[in-house]
Amino acid sequence: MKKLMITAMSILSLLTVAACGQSAPQQSAPAQNAPAASAPATTKTPKSGADQKIASMSIHLTNNLLALGITPVGSVIGGDVKAFLPHVADRLKDTKPLGVVTDPDMEAVLALKPDVIYLDEAYSGKDVAKFEKIAPTHVFNLDEGTWRDTLKKTGALVKREAEAETFIADYEEQTKRVKGLIHDKLGDGAKVMAIRVTAKELRVFGMKRPMGPILFEDLGLQPANGVEKIDKAYAVISQEVLPDFDADAIFVVVNAGDEAKKVYDQLQANPLWQGLTAVKKNQIYIIGAQPWLDYSAIGNKMAMDEAEAFFKK
Amino acid sequence: MNQQEIARKKRVMHVGIWLILICVCVILYSLHTGSIRLSPYEVLRTLVGLGSEDDSLVLFEYRLPRIVITILAGMGLGISGAILQGLYRNSLADPGVLGLHAGAAFGLVVFVSFFRSLEGMISLVLPLFTFAGAVLVAVLIVLLAYDRHKGVLPIRLILVGIALAAGFSAITLFLSLRLDEGTYAFAARWLAGNVWGREWANVLALLPWIVLLVPYTWLQSKVLDALMLGDEVATGIGAPVQRKRFLLMGTAVALASVSVSMAGGVGFIGLAAPHLARRLVGPLHQYMLPIAGMIGVVILVAADTIGRSIFQPNAIPAGVVVAAVGAPYFLYLLAKTK
Repeated sequence: MKKLMITAMSILSLLTVAACGQSAPQQSAPAQNAPAASAPATTKTPKSGADQKIASMSIHLTNNLLALGITPVGSVIGGDVKAFLPHVADRLKDTKPLGVVTDPDMEAVLALKPDVIYLDEAYSGKDVAKFEKIAPTHVFNLDEGTWRDTLKKTGALVKREAEAETFIADYEEQTKRVKGLIHDKLGDGAKVMAIRVTAKELRVFGMKRPMGPILFEDLGLQPANGVEKIDKAYAVISQEVLPDFDADAIFVVVNAGDEAKKVYDQLQANPLWQGLTAVKKNQIYIIGAQPWLDYSAIGNKMAMDEAEAFFKK
Repeated sequence: MNQQEIARKKRVMHVGIWLILICVCVILYSLHTGSIRLSPYEVLRTLVGLGSEDDSLVLFEYRLPRIVITILAGMGLGISGAILQGLYRNSLADPGVLGLHAGAAFGLVVFVSFFRSLEGMISLVLPLFTFAGAVLVAVLIVLLAYDRHKGVLPIRLILVGIALAAGFSAITLFLSLRLDEGTYAFAARWLAGNVWGREWANVLALLPWIVLLVPYTWLQSKVLDALMLGDEVATGIGAPVQRKRFLLMGTAVALASVSVSMAGGVGFIGLAAPHLARRLVGPLHQYMLPIAGMIGVVILVAADTIGRSIFQPNAIPAGVVVAAVGAPYFLYLLAKTK
């Protein structure tokens, strides 16, 4: 009997272990079949300007480069989608994926023999020395100023300052238009918030990037009650407190995957949700995680395009 | 020296030489696997210092540290399992089954939840936390499995271990759900047995434990042999049973927890390696321990290599590979054990 018990328990624990193994997220960097190591040898003196081979170790820096019309030879991929972000994937067909930023494929970077490497300090700051062994390295701090500052800095490095200025000017122009459209639709003093529905939790975006700057600075919208106190990217809330924000309009990001969708369906069926001011006014806007959460020049530009399309109707 | 013993020594030599050859092959193959293809010849050239600058960078900075860590951790896990099976005369004893991994995981999650300020020294401090977590579980197991008249009951030990593993996994899960996304991803990958130690600093954090504890264990082979005979006999032939058991248990806990601290929660090696070793060279620990260590090395290095090469571009954690191969073996053992 005892033996049987042990057997049963062991099998049980075994299954548990096996199941855990399977369900755990497999975030490891994809290793690509790199071009043969016999790629033409380049000297390690950095070329300047737009013709240099850039390896970008941040999806946002990659997208800033794209905004300037430069395609990096290699770039990290999005951690969630395990691929280049969908809204720019078509422009990165010839770019080599270098793994996820938290676990980059150093060998693939080396195989590219880039002239320069761009890093995001928040993720790769501690590994600068490792990258410098491969090529000269520029470290960006994306929290310093807005994406405009990063874009200008990038523009200076690749000698495309004019393109950077034009891009920013176009964006400001468009923002003014969209601001007007939103004002027409939502009226004076409308308060807005942005939420994200994941399988696990409900989040409210705060004042920091990615959502804070575009909504509350660029578009000049008024944060819903309490949003202004969230001095970070987002805060996790419970559904019951949604009415306390008393928002006139809500931007909703629903995560990819059936589970998140199911959670959102349940939320919509909830009387609490149906009682929200924004729902009653029919001012719920479903937005995509990309481009909205891609805090880069292209990301914000494409988000603005989306907003323009919404509010034109 | 009688005939039998000479025959056994010969067999051990044979098995040992074969295993060393297999180890070397697996390690060389592992060194040759990666995004940049280095031929075995280039690997050898680079190892003796004749390779190009880039080849050396790939080999010495990217691949070698990781492989050295899998070698050390595989050895640690194999030997830890061998000690536990000897100590408790139970072939199901394994650091994973006994809940030591769960304890180590608990230590890890406590570390990332409450001691983020020490992150700069993570490679040095993490083994201490996983060790503390595993010690906590080990102490609880011994307390709960202890019977006043019969000492520690091997069968109860396994069941208590499984129960404690479940309990600690629950706490670990609870704590890890409160982590932010980046940290949670790290913890989850760790739990799945992802070899995260990639740098020489990680090797240095692991090396002293293995270098000190493995030879110590080997020197205690005779004691382990005696304990296999049962407590009464062991006491009868003059082994200080309780003290030695305490020390060896500590050694096993330490080996398992520091190994998993760098290599992630890899199970089954502690179970399979000593088993295979016993089948190959018999139950005497002086022969069986080194063989178990080498088998552990082969399994973990092979699993890590398979995990990061075959399933490209999405590498899978070594722990998952080991579990996939280990599970059928485990079932086979259960079916065979009468």
